[in-house]
Amino acid sequence: MDTSTRAFVFAEPAPAVNDRRWGALRRAARARLAPFGAAVLLAAIVVALAAPLLSPYDPLAQDLGNVLARPGRVHWLGTDNVGRDVLSRVIWGTRVSLVAGFVSVAIAAAAGGVLGMLAGYAGGRADGVVMRLMDAVLSLPPLVLALALGAVLGAGLTGVLLALGVVYTPAFARLMRGQVLSVKTRDYVEAARALGASGWWIARRHVLPNAATPIVVQASLSVAFAILAEASLSFLGLGIQPPAASWGSMINAGRGYLQQAPWIVFGPGAALFVTVVALNFVGDAIRDGLDPRLRG
Amino acid sequence: MAEVVLRRLLATVPVLLLVTAGVFALLHLTPGDPVDAMMAESADASTKESLRRELGLDRPIAVQYAAWMGRLLRGDLGRSIRNGEPVLENVSRRIRPSLQLALLAMAIALTIAFPVAIASAVRHNTGVDRLGTTFALFGICMPNFLLALLLIFVFGVTLRWLPISGYLDPLEEGWSGLRSLILPAVTLGLALAAVITRTLRSSLLEALAEDYVRTARAKGLSEWVVIRGHVLKNALIPVVTVLGLQLGTLIGGAVITEYVFALPGVGRLVVDAVFARDYPLVQGVILLIALGFIVSNLLVDLLYGYIDPRIRLR
Repeated sequence: MDTSTRAFVFAEPAPAVNDRRWGALRRAARARLAPFGAAVLLAAIVVALAAPLLSPYDPLAQDLGNVLARPGRVHWLGTDNVGRDVLSRVIWGTRVSLVAGFVSVAIAAAAGGVLGMLAGYAGGRADGVVMRLMDAVLSLPPLVLALALGAVLGAGLTGVLLALGVVYTPAFARLMRGQVLSVKTRDYVEAARALGASGWWIARRHVLPNAATPIVVQASLSVAFAILAEASLSFLGLGIQPPAASWGSMINAGRGYLQQAPWIVFGPGAALFVTVVALNFVGDAIRDGLDPRLRG
Repeated sequence: MAEVVLRRLLATVPVLLLVTAGVFALLHLTPGDPVDAMMAESADASTKESLRRELGLDRPIAVQYAAWMGRLLRGDLGRSIRNGEPVLENVSRRIRPSLQLALLAMAIALTIAFPVAIASAVRHNTGVDRLGTTFALFGICMPNFLLALLLIFVFGVTLRWLPISGYLDPLEEGWSGLRSLILPAVTLGLALAAVITRTLRSSLLEALAEDYVRTARAKGLSEWVVIRGHVLKNALIPVVTVLGLQLGTLIGGAVITEYVFALPGVGRLVVDAVFARDYPLVQGVILLIALGFIVSNLLVDLLYGYIDPRIRLR
């Protein structure tokens, strides 16, 4: 039996992708808190996209005759120390938080995916260098590393996105490397190689689909933490700069008025907390739906 | 055992080298001239030139790295630009509040997490369990700075029971010193308690389903003896793992907590140095934090062998 025939004999049948996807969706929907999480997340995405339409006031417009106004019919969440409408700023802040969460995790997934694939495929010295580099990133506390990188890259959303992207890269690199190591010894990969498939084709056709599930699970669980991290950096003054609104910077600006106007802090605080809780529910449901073995 | 320690120590050498390279690169990643970034625009050219020379920025980058590593190996982490003092002196002055905060937070976390997790696991799927898991979820999703402000609002501003900022050393000032650390330690401790509760609860549930637990119960042992003698020790390994993994979060949380409560600790030092663009101080403190983090993780690894002899024998 020549190599190609043997490879065909042992090649595993392609899984029924559609059945698997529907099964995953059904399992995810069955999780009790997932619908609540999904509804909140959907609402947050709509708010972020439609911020100019939904925001009752200009988030930057100051009204010095109406500072620290209590929540009421005119200003649902009150006004801040320079008379800006807190609700409008919370609505615009949703955009910053969601962009920070999703984009930084996307950067990490892309960078980690490429590095993990390189390490897993190349093996040897390249594997050693990449993985030690990832260990070095992991040997710094995430917030401290993000703070240092943010300081170097400069305050602003781009710096924060890149800093958080670097912080979350090792988790994805390790996952991808593990998947590559496990997939590259399978018979169907050997078959593809025997048939003359290029490394890139094998990576795209066999490794990526197999690695997609753990990567999606890791990404869905990371977004909530990325949003918290962005809020923390903004709170410290490294995120998007005033007067633009982000939940973290609003909370920091309001802490001096905690006694007279707690709503300045608790409006964005509630938005942040509810979004993170919702993302956790959605992340858990995606994990349970896609890979029940990982259930905690 | 000595061989395991040696092997782990050797494995940290390349990681440490890469960390030093990364920390060194921090200064050079700064867009534009780092000296311009560090000094005010008004500073005259000769002052800037002397700082450039002092930092060695006028030499080739490889030479700069070699010289910097040479100084590091002699224990010289550089000097702060702001106060001109060595980095080590800056850190040693700030380390005491940070350690006190971390220890108190850890004590609070363990005091809350163990009873809550045990109650949750023993009364699995009841109201008690739901209360425990809700607490864990709350603690994990609540950002440190928001919890800190909530606690300040309730216990500092509204009830006026506890001070909302500042620091007095408990070892010198006694009770009033301890009072100044209660709110920061609760802020930091609750988040950690939530993570430990979640992990301990699920590992306790796993251990409770084991055959040896059924045997212990069949022998007529009381539930408490079963939990303490058989279940708890077996459920500890994941908790130690999580504690090791959470050290980074604890340090990050300490940075925020010290910032909110104006505690003069190492976390606050990092934030101040970052905003003052005092890069030698940022480099030195981050290197020390990384070193502390690596050593703590090493200790956690070695603790496994102590808790579970099966790991030691492997």
